[in-house]
Amino acid sequence: MFFLSRAKTRKQVRTIEMVLDHDGSNWLVSNDRLRLSASSLEELDRMVEAAMEPELAREKSIHVFMTFNNEVIPMWIRPYMNHYFNRILELPLQYQ
Amino acid sequence: MAKTQRAWYSGMLTTEDWWAVWLGLTFFGLGLLTIAGIDLVGWIAYPSKWVFSLPDGAVAKKIKTIDHAFSALGGKYSLTAKGMYKSLGPIGSILVTYVVFTIATTIGAYFQKWDVKRYLGGWTIIFFLTYGVWFIGHHAFFAASAVDLKKSHFPDMFTLSLGGGASFILALIVGLIIGNFFKPLARYLSEAAKPEWFIKTAIVFLGVKVGYLPIKAVLAGSKLGAKGAKIGHEMANLTFDLFVAGAAATIVAYLIFWPGVYTISRLIFKLPRKTAAVLGSAISICGVSAAVATGGAVRARPVVSIMVSALVVVYAVIELVILPGVFTHVWPGPSDPLVAGSAMGMAVKTDGADAAAGELLDEFMRTKIEKETDGKVVWMSGVITTSAVMTKIWIDMFIGLWAFILAIFWVYKIEKHEGDRVPFSEVWFRFPKFVLGYFAAWFIYLGIFFGPGQAGAAEGMPILKAAKAGAVPVEKGMRKLFFMLTFMSLGIITDFKKLAEAQFGKMVWVYFVALFLFIIPVAVIIAYLFHHGMQIPNMAGVVIN
Repeated sequence: MFFLSRAKTRKQVRTIEMVLDHDGSNWLVSNDRLRLSASSLEELDRMVEAAMEPELAREKSIHVFMTFNNEVIPMWIRPYMNHYFNRILELPLQYQ
Repeated sequence: MAKTQRAWYSGMLTTEDWWAVWLGLTFFGLGLLTIAGIDLVGWIAYPSKWVFSLPDGAVAKKIKTIDHAFSALGGKYSLTAKGMYKSLGPIGSILVTYVVFTIATTIGAYFQKWDVKRYLGGWTIIFFLTYGVWFIGHHAFFAASAVDLKKSHFPDMFTLSLGGGASFILALIVGLIIGNFFKPLARYLSEAAKPEWFIKTAIVFLGVKVGYLPIKAVLAGSKLGAKGAKIGHEMANLTFDLFVAGAAATIVAYLIFWPGVYTISRLIFKLPRKTAAVLGSAISICGVSAAVATGGAVRARPVVSIMVSALVVVYAVIELVILPGVFTHVWPGPSDPLVAGSAMGMAVKTDGADAAAGELLDEFMRTKIEKETDGKVVWMSGVITTSAVMTKIWIDMFIGLWAFILAIFWVYKIEKHEGDRVPFSEVWFRFPKFVLGYFAAWFIYLGIFFGPGQAGAAEGMPILKAAKAGAVPVEKGMRKLFFMLTFMSLGIITDFKKLAEAQFGKMVWVYFVALFLFIIPVAVIIAYLFHHGMQIPNMAGVVIN
């Protein structure tokens, strides 16, 4: 029941798709209207949250599905593993 | 355009992993057609042990003359087109093999968006180089055992008795020479030197082998009556035992290896937490794929996984060179061949190097036991390879789950990322797809054995014989060809100088210490606990193909 209700809640939340990338020193996240970069994922998440502030004011919560750009993995490694990671960022962030 | 994986079917037409499934299952499917009386696989060119000319009194049984060094397997095994395949001769069968696999692999290269022109050039060179080495490696001096000499009525002569292992070693040596001394050529060939693709395809073909083992045992032992069927059942049971024991051994290995290597990295070598986690997975689980999966799971910068991966591939080749000989001649030896095979699966960290090392071990062990017992103990080829691959496949399959659990633990407990949620689809994206082909091939042939083949009963024999005609060219000819291509390609892409040039620092030593002083000895102990006592059925006195 717990999982069922969680899944139901998630379905009601709008999900925004973004591509996550790494340029060697910074994490980057982008979609059609947004492009942000930061040296750590935590910092990047906060920037995403700040950029989403107007939407978050209208909606209770938003999920950002970040699919990683696997082209960051060098060509010779891809036959072994061609997926780095995807993640979902649940906004607003729950600061402690 | 970013290359992302979002849908469950992402990469089905663009990754080597999936193309191993398509390639493997295509030829597996063609092989199955022999049950309907259509033989489309008997053209595969396969080598025999050979000499320039037979000595007086010798017969061309196990050792043939140079003009019969290669032949199409269908010339011996086909039920419907034996004459046609025989008429191809050595050169004809090699050319047909080249044409068929050139078309098949080039289609794969095209969909994977490789440079098709460069692929064709590289593939052609690698293919003919591989056949050249296969030819040399089967000269009686390298390959013939004392038993082969005896069966062919040869006089006593010195041979290296390496069996088919000689060809694998030669292929690796030739590849390494190109990779380390002819670097412009190696760079050109790199577009077609794809050991992971070749080995994953070979592993799908190995699935045919595993499913076909009971059929082979029954047919080989059919002249023994009920004993033949008994051997078939023993073989079917053995493959399941290996399947279950491999899973159990893998779980235990995960629980011991990872914490052990992580602790060594952190406490002795003082590596940062994320680097230790990535290195821990790479050394203790499945090498490059584990390094990348764990790097993602702990949200490490991609460069950490890339550096560790570079180390893995070099060490895997070192293991491939050392371990088959050590496991055969030092410990566990032929008294526990399946312990050795399983330990190989846990110790060697890339699929290519592991399956190749397993195949080499298979050749060494079978040759040694035959020699030591003067032919009174004969094992079917491929059983030891299966034990090595079975463990490795479990390790590969678990990595997705392991990385998922690690990601949850890391994100929620260790680094406590706010709002970060790990999607369950990660398990599927990291799942090795080629094992689907392996299991499909295995279970379908097993289904034929227990279903229409009636587990070796007299009424089922015709269908088992028809299945054999299609299975042998795939599980023997194509599987070994793709193993050969793997050895050659592994050598070509391995540049030992990279190990000295790169700034790996302490990681090289962590890897060395963890692998040789912890992982390999513990792997043998775990393999001993789960595989000790498992026996490969003795096929001495029974016709072996």
